[in-house]
Amino acid sequence: METGSLVMPRRVVPLARPDEGQAVSNARLAMIVLIAGESMLFAGLIGAYLVFRLAARNWPPPDLPRLPLGLTAANSVLLLASGFPMGRALRAARRYDRQRLARSLGQTALLGSTFLFVQGIEWVRLVRHGLTLASGTYGATFYVLIGCHGVHVLAAVTWLAVTALLARRGAFIAGRQAPLEMCAIYWYFVCALWVVLFPLVYLS
Amino acid sequence: MTNAIRKTRLPVSVLTVAAVLGAAADVLAQACAMCGSALSDDPLGRAISWSILFLMAAPYTIVGTALLCLVWIHRRAAGRRRAASMELAALRPATAGEPSGGGLS
Repeated sequence: METGSLVMPRRVVPLARPDEGQAVSNARLAMIVLIAGESMLFAGLIGAYLVFRLAARNWPPPDLPRLPLGLTAANSVLLLASGFPMGRALRAARRYDRQRLARSLGQTALLGSTFLFVQGIEWVRLVRHGLTLASGTYGATFYVLIGCHGVHVLAAVTWLAVTALLARRGAFIAGRQAPLEMCAIYWYFVCALWVVLFPLVYLS
Repeated sequence: MTNAIRKTRLPVSVLTVAAVLGAAADVLAQACAMCGSALSDDPLGRAISWSILFLMAAPYTIVGTALLCLVWIHRRAAGRRRAASMELAALRPATAGEPSGGGLS
């Protein structure tokens, strides 16, 4: 007697991801909380900057160098332009175009690195002209506020570089694009932050 | 003698506390140094006022934006689910004997 015929065929049940079916995934929720926390950090720094800026009779003080507006404006355009390759990367991920995804992420990281490089050059020039962290509230608020943003850009560029490497290896296949989306959200946040900081520090 | 001391201890304590609070009333009325200087009309006072306003608005703005994001994501996901189910229903082949739609009617 053949016993095999009595065995019910096994039904293959696809494994569901833990957050499948949720409107807001855990990763996205965590990213929203992180960005809210980061925003409060910058709100505190901007609050301190406003106190010193509005209370000062002369801003910047006459004996200290002016901030390089033209160079930083061009640098801002670079940073904001990096949003376009990021959007292209997201579209490429939806189409499972691995090459285009890695290339777009690399371009975004390159633009971010260029922004940091130009910021570094600007800082070196300012320090040489006498604007240091100890040059009163003007120097202190400038370096703390812009430096804090620079650290965030550095973290985002590192994240982008790692994501680009993973994308090249084909990590973001169908249904596994959450890390890429989180990276994109963080990058857009860093860019949006600069839209607030640039007019506040350089144009006010 | 001891009873007399016990009887007078409470009123003396109350009077002492009242005297201390009364002497410190001016200090208590000033609240904190920040609010004190914010009320004045010098540049520092105005700067602190603007900063207080900004910092007061920041949490509401941030939490409000986060909530709006969540609502938008939720609605978009619900719309996608609805569209997917409608697409699935349209692709499903109509079999003989099965009602073509309308449920129990």
